[in-house]
Amino acid sequence: MGVLMEVRGLRLYYSTRKGVVKAVDNVSFQLMEGETLAVVGESGCGKSSMAKAIIRLLPRNVHTYDGSIIFEGRDIMKLDEETFRREVRWRKISMVFQGAMNSLNPVLKVGFQVGEPLMIYDGLSKEEAIARARKMLRMVGIHEAFADRYPFELSGGMKQRAVIAMALITNPRLVILDEPTSALDVITQANIMNMLKRVRDEYGLSYIFITHDIALSSELADKVAVMYAGQIVEVADAEIFYREPSHPYAQKLMASVPTLRTDKKLEFIPGAPPSLLEPPPGCRFHPRCPYAMDICRREEPPVIDLGGGHKVKCWLYAKR
Amino acid sequence: MNYMRAGGVVKGLAKRAIMLYLTLVISMYITIVVANMGGLVDQYIKSQLILEITYNIKRNPEYRNLPPAEIDKLIKKTFEIEIKRRGLDKPFLVRSFIYLKDALTLDLGRAMYLQSDSGSRQVKIIILERLPQTVMLFTTSMLIHFFVNLFMGLYLARHYGSFLDKLFIALSPTSVIPGWFYGIFLILIFYSWLHVLPPGGIVDVPPPEDPILYSLSVLKHMILPLASWIISGFFLGCYSSRTFFLIFSTEDYVEAARAKGVPPRLIERRYILRPALPPIVTNFALGLIGSWSGAIITERVFNWPGLGMLTYNAINAFDTPVLVGITVIYAYLLMITVFLLDIVYVLIDPRIRLSLGGR
Repeated sequence: MGVLMEVRGLRLYYSTRKGVVKAVDNVSFQLMEGETLAVVGESGCGKSSMAKAIIRLLPRNVHTYDGSIIFEGRDIMKLDEETFRREVRWRKISMVFQGAMNSLNPVLKVGFQVGEPLMIYDGLSKEEAIARARKMLRMVGIHEAFADRYPFELSGGMKQRAVIAMALITNPRLVILDEPTSALDVITQANIMNMLKRVRDEYGLSYIFITHDIALSSELADKVAVMYAGQIVEVADAEIFYREPSHPYAQKLMASVPTLRTDKKLEFIPGAPPSLLEPPPGCRFHPRCPYAMDICRREEPPVIDLGGGHKVKCWLYAKR
Repeated sequence: MNYMRAGGVVKGLAKRAIMLYLTLVISMYITIVVANMGGLVDQYIKSQLILEITYNIKRNPEYRNLPPAEIDKLIKKTFEIEIKRRGLDKPFLVRSFIYLKDALTLDLGRAMYLQSDSGSRQVKIIILERLPQTVMLFTTSMLIHFFVNLFMGLYLARHYGSFLDKLFIALSPTSVIPGWFYGIFLILIFYSWLHVLPPGGIVDVPPPEDPILYSLSVLKHMILPLASWIISGFFLGCYSSRTFFLIFSTEDYVEAARAKGVPPRLIERRYILRPALPPIVTNFALGLIGSWSGAIITERVFNWPGLGMLTYNAINAFDTPVLVGITVIYAYLLMITVFLLDIVYVLIDPRIRLSLGGR
């Protein structure tokens, strides 16, 4: 397996009335071909911003956008907008948006919307594109007759599947799934997770799976990245991570997951995620960290390699 | 549309039509009661009548030598005959329903005081004579408004935050001032000061014989009233349609379309305008029929012989049949437009089509 994508020092800052919001601050990670990276973290920690930075769908108020993203051997950050649109976005990297319920235009038929990228990129006729859309809908588990329906005639789960079909139609290498099941009931959620697994194995896809639900992430993840205040604080193989997370924040996060039928007291993390306008100095987690030391308040922790691709950004693991 | 079960849609539309007609009947009845001031206008008519009859009889040389008691009796008799002839002997409640039936069958009757320019007292003729002038001025203004707002709104939404965008926001309060007020200033500038345009009326006096010169003269008279309305609505209109498009362009599916690589122009057409079509069409249709009722003050300021002026005169003269007539015609137009809108919705919006039972 080769490296599919390598992100180095990715930054995305927004300028707002109150100041500069450091939504993604110096993020680096590696993604192998066919691998699924789960990105977990609380709301507002920069997960969605990272996704948007990778697929370069930026809002108007961008302040800083830099770093490098090596995708299949070339730095796609260096491409101009038009080339990026033509060659990368949706062809190589596609995305399932948060709130997929509203990702479909209410007055266009589902089949048309799923097939639309083919008409745009490959110059397929409407009929050919819709025929391909039907196949893709079947692939994600929707009866192809729904290609001729309008979005409001589909249930939430079906809409979600249709949006996934829309992301897969151009046969991309990487699909970014931004909270793909957050508004669905658990049964539908499970069905969709199984479908995502099946599709991944069939096409050899890579996923970046963004979620705030750690339990759910374990369904799909080969590797887990924990984000906190715009930074990745821990990356580890799924097996290692779910068994024993290293970063105090990741530990707390794991402890807050409810389990069935065991009388465990759910833990929570005191305080709220820090403002991304003025993140705390030193380690960004130190105000909420039970192990906070003097150095945590003063200096930003280094990224420490624990071996086997397990990296953690915490002073506790620094050899002094 | 090929799977549409036409039956369901037809049934749904038929229901709508019935509801609309019921609304029309009720609103017409209320109008009749109000325009007659719940019967008070009767008193007014009766005293007018007595005055008229007394005056006529006393002036008539034939009756000059009759004793006063006889004259009184004669007045009373003539009065009663006249009351009966006009149907005023029945109680108002009964008559209100007769009026309602006449109104609904578009039997608008005769005006009490007003006349058409050709001398007719038929309410229908009086109104139809004024309608074209009003349509010519206000429908033109409405159409210009609508398209300017639409395209300017799209342009501003596309250039959100630009200097022009901010300028329009800053200038939008100018629309608080009504059109006729700008009209007065325009008259001052272009008539009183520059002497280039007429202050009012619809055509030169005397009217030119040649039809081409005649229409040019009408056009010349239209410039100021048209300009006053367009100036008054311009900034606010563009501003609100810009905001409307901005709201529609923040929908998730617009973002998704952008991500899919749909080119910006196509996004505007397919993902912003298409879903926004029902409210746009509604705006257009209601603006259109709104323009047919004219504008009372603007027509007075520019001395424009349209329906607004007619309404003004009818109110002043207590001419109930004319008022009721104007309302009836307008109510019918409104009802028909709303019904046509329902059909248009069915054609342009699948959500409405299916909620009516089509497939």
